[in-house]
Amino acid sequence: MFMYGKHILGIRACTWVYFFLLVLSFITYLVGQLGLGGLEVSLLVLFFALMKGHLVGLYFMGLVRVKGFWHWPVSIWLIIPGVLISIAFYLAN
Amino acid sequence: MTATTATIGCSSQSKYPSGDLAIWVFILAELLVFGIFFAVYAFARMNNVELFNEFQQHLDLNAALINTWALITSSYFVVRAVAAIKEGNSQLCVRWLLAAIAMGAVFLVVKSGEYAHHFGQGINLSTNSFYMFYLSLTFFHFMHVIMGMVILAAVAIKAHQGGYSASDNTGVHTGASYWHMVDLVWLILFPLVYVMR
Amino acid sequence: MQYQSQKVAIPYFVGAIVLFVAQILFGLIMGLQYVMGDFLFPEIPFNVARMVHTNALIVWLLMGFMGAAYYLVPEEAETELHSPFLAKLMFWVFFAAAGLTVAGYLLVPYSTLADITGNELLPTMGREFLEQPTITKIGIVVVALAFLYNLGMTILRGRKTAINLVLMIGLVGLAVLFLFSFYNPTNLVLDKFFWWWVVHLWVEGVWELILGSILAFVLIKVTGVDREIIEKWLYIIIAMAFISGIIGTGHHFFWIGTPEYWQWWGSIFSALEPIPFFMMTIFAFSMVKQRRRNHPNRVATLWALGASVMAFLGAGVWGFMHTLSPVNYYTHGSQLTAAHGHMAFYGAYVMIVLTIISYAMPLLRGRTAANSERQQTLEIWSFWLMTIAMTLITLFLTAAGILQVWLQRVLDSPLPFMAAQDQLTVFYWMREFAGVMFLIGLLLYIASFFVGDKEPEASVKTIA
Repeated sequence: MFMYGKHILGIRACTWVYFFLLVLSFITYLVGQLGLGGLEVSLLVLFFALMKGHLVGLYFMGLVRVKGFWHWPVSIWLIIPGVLISIAFYLAN
Repeated sequence: MTATTATIGCSSQSKYPSGDLAIWVFILAELLVFGIFFAVYAFARMNNVELFNEFQQHLDLNAALINTWALITSSYFVVRAVAAIKEGNSQLCVRWLLAAIAMGAVFLVVKSGEYAHHFGQGINLSTNSFYMFYLSLTFFHFMHVIMGMVILAAVAIKAHQGGYSASDNTGVHTGASYWHMVDLVWLILFPLVYVMR
Repeated sequence: MQYQSQKVAIPYFVGAIVLFVAQILFGLIMGLQYVMGDFLFPEIPFNVARMVHTNALIVWLLMGFMGAAYYLVPEEAETELHSPFLAKLMFWVFFAAAGLTVAGYLLVPYSTLADITGNELLPTMGREFLEQPTITKIGIVVVALAFLYNLGMTILRGRKTAINLVLMIGLVGLAVLFLFSFYNPTNLVLDKFFWWWVVHLWVEGVWELILGSILAFVLIKVTGVDREIIEKWLYIIIAMAFISGIIGTGHHFFWIGTPEYWQWWGSIFSALEPIPFFMMTIFAFSMVKQRRRNHPNRVATLWALGASVMAFLGAGVWGFMHTLSPVNYYTHGSQLTAAHGHMAFYGAYVMIVLTIISYAMPLLRGRTAANSERQQTLEIWSFWLMTIAMTLITLFLTAAGILQVWLQRVLDSPLPFMAAQDQLTVFYWMREFAGVMFLIGLLLYIASFFVGDKEPEASVKTIA
């Protein structure tokens, strides 16, 4: 599961993550600029955000290398507000 | 150089995240605060969808995108700074940190521009619930950006004085982790407040 | 005790306990007046008893903090106190001012007290907890300045530790925020707004720093855990206390005429206020678990652990219960508030002062580490009596509060205030009995200073 090569954990991986984050942010921006709305679009944008957060946690913060308890807090943090926000948006529509 | 040592910044698995564990407790507490704030925003919006949708359109998406990019870039620079110190290159580490701080400054300038625009229109916390949340959330985050920059600056100063080495660099990791948290929070805040409708 | 000048803490601790007794006696008087309205009327009307009860509490806690600071600052700084004489002098100034103020409350009507102390020159009286005549307030400022000067000079000369730093920030904050008691705008909203800057930002802000640093000091001493670890915890706890507590002031601004955003700010941030208290509990227990030695003063350890638990329950849990504005809409100013106030003050501040007294007094009185076995047994009894009594008081007041809210604010045809109060009598009686139990605990506590103090010190072996 864990690979010790450059590709997964090294600086190059972080660089790819960085570009990916830029792109996802730009997509989010486009959604806003085009004025797209509604439950599905919102949840998709939220999903992107959670994924971005997950990548920041795993790669930038380096949690991908951490085993056990401390591997999870950021992911769990993303999920709980993510679910609550989803519920609120679902109920609002 | 073997494949293992080439994985700068990520050499082995461990039980604990890099950096002082204390900062991680603190980061979790901070994340909790923001998490509650986000959920409260969403539920307050639920009771006032039209108002939120209407005033969301008055926000400056271009500024938000620039700021998102600024923070992501800044976070990436911090990753590079950590990698540099792991190779024992203090001065390179300092340069990456300064670049990261500069991106933080970009964020502050752009965000201040947004605030100036809103305040110029006479908008304040009592204008309506949307602006109350927008201003509170972003300002609370704004303060964290400043705090993070101060921490990064402190780390940079110590690194400049040669206070860290390839083997002893917990402080750099500590500052880096806090800064990533500031970035992480914004990554949720941006779509939630600016885009989702 | 390593430095002679630490001895100036003794009068502060003794003075604190004397006022503690006064506080409890007046609490019992008030408790009885809840159910027997004319008890001791007209000699001691309810409002006067309440004033003495609350003011004595605040003053004795301040004295306790000062004693604690005079004890631990020299030890942490590894140097003698800058001026022991100034510390002693200030004690007597403070004690005399407190005595005269209480005498003033009891002997003349409050308005007369205001007249003879020249309140109209700089009106500051007449506000809850800040009832002291203006000259007393000025006296407090003088004492505080002398106190901070004395400690500041000591710290500057000696070793700088995180504990001393945090304690000093707490004490300076305490003094600075007290200055808002001199600000008395005619606009009632502003008046209340800044009144909370003293009251809330004390107990839910800077006092938590004092609490944290005293707790950290005692834990270092009794557990022998590395200072580095303890200081790290201390930093996190105070950071959380500030993040939650400063804007958390907003939970007092719900209904006083401030803008609506305080409903949100106050609710969200104050909902987080239990976190630093919860961390403190984890902190205390994990340090004791990781202890490097068994300290013969086991009762001091008990107080430290007890303080962390009771502070979390009283300040954290009981505070959270009614801190969200939609809940507070119903519970505001009810007996629930009283329940929270009692357990929070006892758990967070009374117990931490008793912790440091329990740790320091044996040393100040010439013991090498701890009191005798018999003294400690007695003190442990007093710990449990007072703590259980306070828990009962809190539970009875909580029950009274829930019923009160129901009868007076929720029912379709709500009862008027006094009619609702009549329905709560049974809880007030039970509270009064719990109060008597508390007094017995307090008397045992005082007895523990004298009974068995000729016996040899407890040693670790007899405890293990």
